[in-house]
Amino acid sequence: MSFFSKSPWILHYDGSSCNGCDIEVLACLTPLYDVERFGVLNTGNPKHADILLVTGSVNERNIEIVENLYRQMPDPKVVVAVGACACSGGIFARAYNIQGGIDKVIPVDVYVPGCAARPESIIDGVVQGIAALEAKRKKTA
Amino acid sequence: MTSLIAFLIGFPILVGAVLLLVTRASLRNPIVLVSSVAVAAASVATVVTFGNGDGVFFGLPGGIVPGQALIAVEIAMTAFIVVIGLMNRRIAAPIMAVAQLAIALFLEVTGRMPDADPQRLFWFDRLSMVMVLVIGLIGTLICVNAIGYMHDYHRSNPMIKGRRNVFFSLLFIFLAGMFGLVTCNYLPMMLVFWEITTLCSFLLIGYTRTPETIGYAFKALNMNLLGGLGFGLAIALLADQHLGLDLARLTASPASGTLLAAVALLAFAGITKSAQMPFSSWLIGAMYAPSPTSALLHSSTMVKAGVFLLLRLSPAMSGSTVGYLVTFVGLGTFLFVSLVAVTEQNTKKVLAYSTIGSLGLIGACAGIGTPELAWVGVMIIIFHALAKGLLFLVVGTIENRLYTKDIENFDTLLSRLPKVSVLALTGIAGMFIAPFGIVVAKWAAIRAFLQVPGGQGAAMIVIMAFGSSLTIFYWGKLLIKVLSMRSVGEYERSIERRVSRYEWLTEGALAFGVIAVTACIGIISDRVVGPYALSAFPTAGSHTFLNIEPAMLVVMLVAVLFLPLLAVWASTRKYDASDFYSSGRNANASHVMGAALGGSKSVTLRNYYLDGVVNGALMFRVGTLACGGILVAMIAVGMVVR
Amino acid sequence: MSPAVYGVLFVFLAPVFGGLLAGVDRRVSARMQGRIGPPLLQPFYDFGKLIQKQARQVNPVVEPLLLGHVFFMAVTGALLLSGTDLIFIAFVFALAALFLVLAAGSVNSPYSFAGAERELIVLLASEPFFILMMAGICKVTGASTYAGVLASPQLVAVQLPGVLLAFLLVATIKLRKSPFDISTSHHPHQELVSGLTTDMSGRMLAYVELAHWYESALLCAFMVLLFNWSVPLGLVVFAIAYALEVLVDNSTSRAKWQLVLRSTWAATLIFSGGNVLALFLLSR
Repeated sequence: MSFFSKSPWILHYDGSSCNGCDIEVLACLTPLYDVERFGVLNTGNPKHADILLVTGSVNERNIEIVENLYRQMPDPKVVVAVGACACSGGIFARAYNIQGGIDKVIPVDVYVPGCAARPESIIDGVVQGIAALEAKRKKTA
Repeated sequence: MTSLIAFLIGFPILVGAVLLLVTRASLRNPIVLVSSVAVAAASVATVVTFGNGDGVFFGLPGGIVPGQALIAVEIAMTAFIVVIGLMNRRIAAPIMAVAQLAIALFLEVTGRMPDADPQRLFWFDRLSMVMVLVIGLIGTLICVNAIGYMHDYHRSNPMIKGRRNVFFSLLFIFLAGMFGLVTCNYLPMMLVFWEITTLCSFLLIGYTRTPETIGYAFKALNMNLLGGLGFGLAIALLADQHLGLDLARLTASPASGTLLAAVALLAFAGITKSAQMPFSSWLIGAMYAPSPTSALLHSSTMVKAGVFLLLRLSPAMSGSTVGYLVTFVGLGTFLFVSLVAVTEQNTKKVLAYSTIGSLGLIGACAGIGTPELAWVGVMIIIFHALAKGLLFLVVGTIENRLYTKDIENFDTLLSRLPKVSVLALTGIAGMFIAPFGIVVAKWAAIRAFLQVPGGQGAAMIVIMAFGSSLTIFYWGKLLIKVLSMRSVGEYERSIERRVSRYEWLTEGALAFGVIAVTACIGIISDRVVGPYALSAFPTAGSHTFLNIEPAMLVVMLVAVLFLPLLAVWASTRKYDASDFYSSGRNANASHVMGAALGGSKSVTLRNYYLDGVVNGALMFRVGTLACGGILVAMIAVGMVVR
Repeated sequence: MSPAVYGVLFVFLAPVFGGLLAGVDRRVSARMQGRIGPPLLQPFYDFGKLIQKQARQVNPVVEPLLLGHVFFMAVTGALLLSGTDLIFIAFVFALAALFLVLAAGSVNSPYSFAGAERELIVLLASEPFFILMMAGICKVTGASTYAGVLASPQLVAVQLPGVLLAFLLVATIKLRKSPFDISTSHHPHQELVSGLTTDMSGRMLAYVELAHWYESALLCAFMVLLFNWSVPLGLVVFAIAYALEVLVDNSTSRAKWQLVLRSTWAATLIFSGGNVLALFLLSR
């Protein structure tokens, strides 16, 4: 029996973003959406997390950080890119320091579009991420 | 029996005299080694001959009484103190030494000094047996350890003039003094041995002859001479009491009147020698001497003499106000010294404060005067001698290898000095995790304090509760440091190979001793310590000592073995490795991490020392004043309330 | 039933109790915040997931030390219920807590190390209380084992009201509730990231949770000890106290360690110490 679908813990990382998607992510934790109902916990710590929720894009400075965090997360793990910036760089894609979306650095499992992405989309994305998590676990089990 | 005791006292003095003349290490080291083995063997032989019976009394061969010889030795020692005091422009020590001599001479000249009973000069019972083993086994191990340690010490401190012949000579004379002390029954003779240990500790602390250590050496001398003065005054009081200055007779039952006054003064002497507050500063100063000195002074000899006397006096103090005040001096010392230890960064000082605290506990047990607490006191002596001796020697080894005394630099010991860490962990576990180590002593003490009536019992328990928690704190900090790990390079791994075989041998033996005694605690309690406690308090009725259930014993054995075994096994364990979390940007191997704006910062991890909540220096002063006040009250009560 | 059986029962049933308590805790907290909250069995789901996750470790000694932590926590409870001396239990309890400190402290990282040091401070703050509580209970009842206290005609909580008061304060620490959750907390994000547990993953985090469940059960057992004349009453009082803890947790922010140490020691000295003193003085 797998418990990952019942207890998916999230690490939220903000790359180079305007914080719009971050506010929407936090909104998911508020009483209006309350993702804790599904056992979702926002941990601040890669070692405790199953799902890496990334907002904002990758720039020169945070490449190593994103890699570091992803490397520290124990298996099985999935990455959910939230918002246009995380998916592809968004409207900042051509800026001098932006490398692009998160998939330039780490493998992304779920893309959640939007600018800013709505909480419902984010929750949908997390749910798909959980399914991907279960699939990975079955593969390695 | 007589001949064995004579050997134990006389042989180390002879060896000491010989070592004074030997200046070549290649000749000295074998002499030290062989003599240590001989002394250790003789100690064991003495114990075997004694056979764990009730106390025996005996005298010197031929029934000679040492009266004139004692005076001669006293005059010699006083002369030495006067000369060396004046040479260093100190006046307090010569004054006190002369005063003590004056009392002795006065008694002798006016004929008030009673004749000693030739058959009752020495008293050997189970307590003496325990002490002889502690001195003879642990003391000699320290002498052997010193061979390796002093070699390194002088190599790393080339400014200090090597007088190793004096050093080793003093170590052996010290042992002789201790042997004499714990087997004496005739008080004037005991005083002479008492002062021999005072002198030896003075000379050992001042070994390096820096202005700082000379200051500390004289502080120790002054405080111990003050205690000796109290001892001398006690003898003066007892001179016409028809007891023959016989310790056993004095302490056979609860004392009153003049006897109680003398007991109070003797307790005063015991308190100064065991560095309880207000006399703790001399022991802290002794930390500046080379490690074997500290180990010898603090774990197996000097300070044990003080609490040994307090334990001997315990039946006489039982139930009296004097006794309760001695208990409060002990408990007050324990509490305040633990508060100070929490703020201390120098490892040897932390060990010193811990020693003073443990001695305070023993003194507290002695003051109340029940068989259960006498049992606790002797147990603490045994465990403390082993574990603390081990820890001082191990810290000395670490200091020599890492060139630091600061706890902050002891971190990642498990990675840098893995085998030494095993020994350190055994020592720390023995100190405060072990069954029948300090933990069980504290448990037994609280159990006993529950029976003490009135507010005093409550006060004792409250002090124990806070003091005990403080000890967990500072030991915990040290444990964290020892257990932390990081990756180490080839050079760092090679450092441990330079530890000398003398150090491995002696420290390993002590570690083995800690575990062995822990495992055999039931036997030790039933066969030795229990019967001692019962025989020392014949009027106390029947007692069952602490009921230690097998489940508890198993749990505590697991506890004490856990950390050393973990240290041994850790390096071979396979695991999924990972970096630690550091906000995504980790420090590299030299502990430097990238910081904001492209800069870099080095990472340091520092313990809490409770700044802002506990002021160590203030606590030391408050404790000194408080315990000093209680001590004054104790003597006043003893002298006035007849 | 022989006392040893109670000990064994504790080892197996205490985690269930602790887990359910944790679930109720999260649900009630969520309701207080206007949310719905996770299912009651969520802590067990979390535990199951953690067991199935990869356990990344920073050094070889963390896992054995955590196992030691769980072992001694379970043993404390087992010994308590099967009739070991109460004062000894206070010391074993401290030993169990120490192993967590050692596990976190061995990691040599800023967050973990600081969490370990803070946990030591918290241990320093709470330990005097437990020793005084056990000593007080032994003095009131004259008994020295759990069964002995329960069988005694003396009403412990009535004679030790100060101890009860201080217990509520110290329980805040042991249950890791604000304002005293300085070393690690169940709330995500604190100034030390996850504090003690920052570098523990997978099954090691599960061990910490398990030990915490044992600890909660132990605290409940202590409460029952205080209300020794009626076990149901003790359980009810524990439930009320726990609800209060959750309320305080949700209403306060974290205190600095100096405040934690000072306030706990003051409460221990004044309320528990004063109570024990009064006890000794009145029992002539």
